[in-house]
Amino acid sequence: MTDLLLVASLGGRRVALRAAEIQSVIELDAPTPVPGAPRHIAGLSALRSRVLTVIDAGKALDLPDVAGTHRRHAAVAEVEGHLYALQLDGVEDVVEALSDCTPLRMKLEHGWARAALGMIETADGPLLVLDVGEIVAGPNDAAAVKAA
Amino acid sequence: MDDLLAEFIAESREMLETLGGEIVAWEADPADRVRLDSIFRFVHTVKGNCGFFDLPRLEALSHAAEDALADVRAGRRQADAGLVSAVLAIIDRISDMVEALDGGEIFSEDGDERLIAALAPADEDEAAEIAIPVVASGSVAANPSLHRPAPAQRSIRLPVELLDRVMSGVSDMVLARNDLARRLREVPTDASIEGPFERLSGIIAEVRDAMTRTRMQRIETLFVALPRLVRDLSGELGKQVMVDIDGADVELDREMIETIRDPLTHIIRNAIDHGIESPAARLAAGKREIGLLTLSARQSGNQIMIDVVDDGRGIDGQRLVDKAVAAGLIDAADGARMSQRERCDLIFEAGLSTAEEITAISGRGVGMDVVRANIERVGGAVELDSIPGQGTRLTIRVPLTLSIIPALTVGIAGQRFAIPRSAVEEIVYIGKDAIEFSRLGSATLAKVRDRRLPCLWLEQILHGMTPERARPARLMVLRLAGCELFALAVDELHDHEELVVKPIAPALMATGLYAGTTLTDDGSPILLLDVGGIARIGGLTFEGQDRAARSAEPASTAVPAGEEVMLFTGLDGKRRAIRMAVVGRIDEVAPDALQFGAVGPRVVIDDRLFPLAGVATLPDPTADKVRLFRLTDGRHEIAYALREVIDIRNLEGGLVPPAVPGEIEGLALIDGEPAEVVDPHWLFARNIREGAAGPGESAGRQPVCRLVSDDPWLQSFLRPLAEAAGYRIIGATDAGQADIAIAMEDAEPAEVAAAELIRLRAAPEPGPESAGSVYRYDREGLVAAFSAARRRLAS
Repeated sequence: MTDLLLVASLGGRRVALRAAEIQSVIELDAPTPVPGAPRHIAGLSALRSRVLTVIDAGKALDLPDVAGTHRRHAAVAEVEGHLYALQLDGVEDVVEALSDCTPLRMKLEHGWARAALGMIETADGPLLVLDVGEIVAGPNDAAAVKAA
Repeated sequence: MDDLLAEFIAESREMLETLGGEIVAWEADPADRVRLDSIFRFVHTVKGNCGFFDLPRLEALSHAAEDALADVRAGRRQADAGLVSAVLAIIDRISDMVEALDGGEIFSEDGDERLIAALAPADEDEAAEIAIPVVASGSVAANPSLHRPAPAQRSIRLPVELLDRVMSGVSDMVLARNDLARRLREVPTDASIEGPFERLSGIIAEVRDAMTRTRMQRIETLFVALPRLVRDLSGELGKQVMVDIDGADVELDREMIETIRDPLTHIIRNAIDHGIESPAARLAAGKREIGLLTLSARQSGNQIMIDVVDDGRGIDGQRLVDKAVAAGLIDAADGARMSQRERCDLIFEAGLSTAEEITAISGRGVGMDVVRANIERVGGAVELDSIPGQGTRLTIRVPLTLSIIPALTVGIAGQRFAIPRSAVEEIVYIGKDAIEFSRLGSATLAKVRDRRLPCLWLEQILHGMTPERARPARLMVLRLAGCELFALAVDELHDHEELVVKPIAPALMATGLYAGTTLTDDGSPILLLDVGGIARIGGLTFEGQDRAARSAEPASTAVPAGEEVMLFTGLDGKRRAIRMAVVGRIDEVAPDALQFGAVGPRVVIDDRLFPLAGVATLPDPTADKVRLFRLTDGRHEIAYALREVIDIRNLEGGLVPPAVPGEIEGLALIDGEPAEVVDPHWLFARNIREGAAGPGESAGRQPVCRLVSDDPWLQSFLRPLAEAAGYRIIGATDAGQADIAIAMEDAEPAEVAAAELIRLRAAPEPGPESAGSVYRYDREGLVAAFSAARRRLAS
């Protein structure tokens, strides 16, 4: 069985999300801000009649901001019955996985360590596979840190 | 086979639900052949199906009951209490077994024999063998539908999940329609597109209404089980209670029905256990031996009201106060000041019970507080009214659906938020009527109606910004679940809207500020504020404060009975009052926003046109603002002009009706002075019918006006006027029935196919033979004639 991967850029790196977990890729307008929300939640948006919670994937992983990115593209995923839009720096392609997901035997910094599932070999070279649920959950201290 | 079994279980369950009431009715009147027949049919159907599915135990039970009932039907035996109880016990067992079957469990076999034996006539115990299970052959599985009464409506079973999917599809369709409508407005319009688009809009609105109704269920599903509950309870307690049920056909969201099932059951238990006296006590009190419990449901606007009324001993307010004092909930001085209503409301406090003895039925004082909390959780309310010695009335109000709630939208720092209407106690107009604000350290108190309320700035809570202004732009008084009040300052107040609330992500829920989210018509999300959370995050602590405030200013703050009205001065300077419930908000507009045209007075507020009332006297032309109430009946809005708001008062005592029915419902005495009470129904009935109905909601058909000749004056002068009044125009020779026809006086039409003829004359003064005609430039006269004809048509 071949897994499909969504290749995206995030924090200046190419990363992969499991395509099976992604419902669609959309272009986002400016989301409606949610005062008091954890800092990795950019706000709310709507996809037809459903409400999307917009997650700033970069902030969710504590990545430094990359200059010159627009964050217009977002991957839509459902986690525990709620729809989320993961804002990514860019969305490139959908590729086939050429290997199983293998653990990366190196120390990762920032939020990478928390969200990384492992490494998968593709025709474009190895990619870090990220866990959608972990991106949605955001930094561990998220609940405590209000955008005060 | 599995499908068939599932069908059998569902069918049995449905029949069981309706059967409870039948059995009790049958017991009350054993000669009632119809009830007997329907119970017989049930056991017969179950028996037939059991043979088919190879369920010998169910079959034995139903067969035994069927035999006993067949004897009664054939007149071989009388239905007595023993038989009814035995049949009830068997039906209960069948119900349990069906549930077990559904869950795939094995149901304990104990007791089947005993249940069957209980069916035997009391005086011939040995004859129990007549009811020994006789295993019938599978051929008995005749078509069960033959034995059931013809259903009034065809119905099918659908998974709720499928309905929800269709529902969300319909919501998408509405949003897509709105989007398209916006785009159509932006580009040059093409008439050939507008027509079909209007039709599409109409169809979508209809489909949405129909889909909303699929979520609705008759409250009967909740009520059918109650006669049985009452029978069992009163039997257990040695009381006699008669149930009267009314309004079982009221429809309610099916989730809402589930939510109120337990609270309602609890209330009924209480009524029978604590309310209704034993037969001896009732006789001693000069009442009928049999207690009466009345249950009624009715729809009132977008709320459902369920009344539970008993004619029992009522609530002893003094004893509640004593208990509350003993429990340390209130102090004796407070208790002495409380009104009967307030005393009764103590029953909702945790840890109070009025029962002399604790019984197994109602348990300890846990209950009513939980009941109230559960009802309030879904945006409802519970009210209690009791007259000692005469009985108790308990009213539950719940919104029609769980997912649609009425809300007010407020603006803060340019963003809109929604607040549930049920939490809004009042909207305070901060104008010349100075509201006193006091800054105490970092806190603010607002004095509203002689009462100092803690005041929170929404902007500060959401954005952490300290307000620069000492006075907020707008203030609303919000009520928390425990009835405590606080004031919330916002920048703007927007519309009253019905919002379809959707859950929000757990991370946002965790902020404690929001209760949900919703989409506006243009598809952008709005957050619904959690009023309790706002108060908590704002640092409000309420313990006992409400009562402390009351004891400090007892005279002005006691909660009086009666309906709340807004007291104001009309444009003509008269003192008037209008019910708070219909006042959506107060607006201010520039005088040039008022228009007095042919369609009646109108006002432009925020780019929308509203019918305008209260303008029998024109506003002072030199004023730079005109104040308006925005009145709402939940569907339509109309504006009502006024000079100034006086205060909020309670309507006590009766109204003196006016000589002529009209805008004024009657005269009331408020603060010892007369005030005219405005009749909102009359206002809406008059203004909404006359106003041209919006697209997609035109009430009834469009009236038709026949122009009797091709006279150029008729075509170019009159036609637009008639069209503006809502008429469809047809020519002299066109087929079809016209509601009114218009002809020039000099023209002599042979025969006009119309219900009514308006004749126009050229001269301003009527000539000798032109009685009843209208001068053709008497615009007001023409408009009046059109609307009079429309009114006649509509009535």
